[in-house]
Amino acid sequence: MDVKKAQSFITQNAIYIVLVILIMGIIVYEPSFMSINTLRDVLIQSSTRVIIALGVAFILITAGTDLSAGRVVGFTAVISASMLQIPDYSRRFFPDLPQVHVLLPIVIAIIAGLLCGLINGIIVSKLNVPPFIATLGTMLIVYGLNSLYFDMDPNQSQPIGGLRPDFTRIGSGFIGSGQYSIPYIVIIAIVVAAIVWVLFNKTKLGKNMYAIGGNMQAAKVSGINVSKNLIYIYAIAGALYGLAGVLEAARTGGATNNYGNMYELDAIAACVVGGVSTTGGIGTVPGVLVGVIIFTLINYGLTFIGISPYYQLIIKGLIIIAAVSFDMRKYSSKK
Amino acid sequence: MKKLTSVLLASALLGAALAGCGGNNNSDNTVATNAPAGNAAKDTANSGSGATPKVGVAIYKFDDTFMTGVRNAIDAAAKGIATVDIVDSQNSQPTQNDKVDLFVTKKYDGMLINPVDRTAAGVIIDKAKAADIPVVFLNREPLPEDMKKWDKVYYVGAKAEESGTMSGQLIVDYWKAHPEADKNGDGVLQYVMLKGEPGHQDAELRTTYSIQAIEDAGIKVEKLAEDTAMWDRVKGQEKMAAFLGSHGDKIEAVLANNDDMALGAIEALKAQGYFTGDKYMPVVGVDATAPAVQALQDGTMLGTVLNDANNQGKAAITVAALLAKGETPTKDNVGFDITDNQYVWISYKKITKDNVADAQ
Repeated sequence: MDVKKAQSFITQNAIYIVLVILIMGIIVYEPSFMSINTLRDVLIQSSTRVIIALGVAFILITAGTDLSAGRVVGFTAVISASMLQIPDYSRRFFPDLPQVHVLLPIVIAIIAGLLCGLINGIIVSKLNVPPFIATLGTMLIVYGLNSLYFDMDPNQSQPIGGLRPDFTRIGSGFIGSGQYSIPYIVIIAIVVAAIVWVLFNKTKLGKNMYAIGGNMQAAKVSGINVSKNLIYIYAIAGALYGLAGVLEAARTGGATNNYGNMYELDAIAACVVGGVSTTGGIGTVPGVLVGVIIFTLINYGLTFIGISPYYQLIIKGLIIIAAVSFDMRKYSSKK
Repeated sequence: MKKLTSVLLASALLGAALAGCGGNNNSDNTVATNAPAGNAAKDTANSGSGATPKVGVAIYKFDDTFMTGVRNAIDAAAKGIATVDIVDSQNSQPTQNDKVDLFVTKKYDGMLINPVDRTAAGVIIDKAKAADIPVVFLNREPLPEDMKKWDKVYYVGAKAEESGTMSGQLIVDYWKAHPEADKNGDGVLQYVMLKGEPGHQDAELRTTYSIQAIEDAGIKVEKLAEDTAMWDRVKGQEKMAAFLGSHGDKIEAVLANNDDMALGAIEALKAQGYFTGDKYMPVVGVDATAPAVQALQDGTMLGTVLNDANNQGKAAITVAALLAKGETPTKDNVGFDITDNQYVWISYKKITKDNVADAQ
C-alpha cells in the first residue's frame, strides 16, 4: 500500500521532483546561487512572464491555444513606448506629441491587446476556426501591423528609446530599500495573479471556462453560451498580453517590433510544467506561478553557472517534453 | 441564420484585410520610388533620353534595423542617378532568387543585392551574367571564388572583424586612461561577453576580434562569463543580471556584440546601483542606434561602433548606377577606394560621448 502511495506521489509530482533535483544541482555546483539577490532577479524576470502565462492559461484551459501572445506583447510594447518618449530625445516616434499622462498610452496599449484577443475570440467561436490556426493567422497579422507601425516616418524601424523616467520607474522602481525591497513589477504581477485567481474560482466565467475545456459539447447542452464566454476569455487574455507588453517596455527602457518573439512558447511551456493540461479543463493559478518561476529559475541558474547556450536549449526542450509526458500519464491514470 | 452570420463575419474580415492591403500598397509605392526626383527621372527615361538606369534592389529583410538605414540611404542617394525598385526578400533566399528573376524579366539595367545567405551569391551571379546585368552585392560578402566569376560583380560592405576590433579598442582606451578600472588591482581585465545569435558570423567575429584587440594592446584578460542574448535587449538584461548575481563586483568590463544587448546590460547594472556616484562599469556595444547614442550622452554607455549605413548605401547605389550605365567605377566617380577592382570597403567608426554627433 505504502509503495503504491509513494508510486502515485512520484507520478503526480514527477516533474517537480526532476526540477528540484536540477536546482539542487545548480546550488551544489555554485553555492552562491542561494541568495536574496537571485530570488529578486528571478521574481523580477518572472513578473511579465507570469502575466503572459496567465493569459495563455485561460485559453489552454478552454482546450484552445494562443500562438499570437508573443506578437501581441511586442505590438503593445511598441505602442506604449512610441508615445512615452522624453521631449528632448533626438529620434522621437511622434516628434510633436505632448507629454501626455503616463497612464494614457498604457491604457491605449492594453486596449490594443484586448482588441487583438477579441478578434482571436471571434475567429475561434464565430468562424469555427481551430484556435491553433486562428492564432497562427493573427500572430502573422499582428506582427505585420506592428512592423508597419514601427516603420512609419520618421521612425523607420529604428529601436525606440529615450523613454520617460515616470514610465520606466514602473519597470525598475521598488518599494523599500536594499536587499529586501519589493519591485513594483513584482507587485503588479501578484495583483494580476490575485485577480485572475478570483476570475478562475469565484466567477461564473471561470466555471464556464473549466466546463468548456472539460467537455465543450456538454457545456453547450447544459446551456452555457460557449461563444460568448470564449470571446470574453480571449479578450481578457489579450488585455493581459497588453499589460505584459507595457511592462516589458518599461522594464527594458525601450522597444522594437521584435519584442515578445516566441514568448507564447515560453508561456505554454511554463503552463504545462505548472500542471495546466493542454487537453483542456485543468489548471490553477498557483500551478502557473510555480511553472513560470521554475522555468525562470532554470533559465537564470543555467546562465549563472555558465552552461553553454546550446545545452540550455537542449535542457529546456527535454523539460517541456518530460512535463507533457508526465501530464499525459497523470491524466490517463485518472481515466 | 447562424451560417449567414458566419459568412458575413468572414467577408467582413476579408474586407478589412483588403482595406489593410490597400494601405500597404500605398506605402510600398513610396518605398519603391520614394524620391520624387526618381519618379520624374523614370518619366524622362521612358520618354527616350535613357539617362537614368533602372536598378533592382533586394534587401535581405525589411525589418532589420541596420538595413533599414542602408535602404533609406540608397533611396536618398539614388536621386538623379538611378531609378530604384527596392524589394523585401523576407529573410528567405528562395524568395530573393524569385525577386532576382523578376529583375531579369523586367530587363533592369543593374541589380543591387543584399544576400540572405552569402553562399547563394554564386547562383545570382550566374543569372546576372547570363542576362548581362551587372550586379553589386551589399553588406554580406559573397565567397571569393564567386566574385571571380565575372568582372561586372562588385561588393560594397564593411569588414565585420573591424567592428570587433574597434569595440575592443574602446575598452583599451578606457583601461589605459583610468587606472581605477582595474578594480581588484591584479593587472588583469575581468570581462563578461554578451554574444549575438550563436553561429552568426558577426557574433563570432566581434567576440573574437574585440578580445584580440585588447590582448594586442598588451592587456591580460580573463573571461568571467559569456552567453548569448540573441541580439535582444530583454535577454541582454536578464543574462547580465545573472552574471552580476554570480560574479558581482569582480566584473570590470562588459562587451556586447550589439547595442541592444549593451543597453539591456546597462539596465541590469542600474538595478545594482551602477552609474550613480562612483560606481561605474565600462559597457561597449556595436551599431550606434539612437537609444545607444542617448546612453552615450547620459554617460551610461562607454562607446559603440558605427556601421556606416549612409556611406554603405551611397557607395552601393553609386557603383550600381555606374555599372548599369556601362561605366567602370573608379575612385573618382564613386568617391570611395576600390580594392582589387571589385571591392569597396566602408570603414566602421568608433563613437563615444566626444564624437556622438557623427552618429546622429
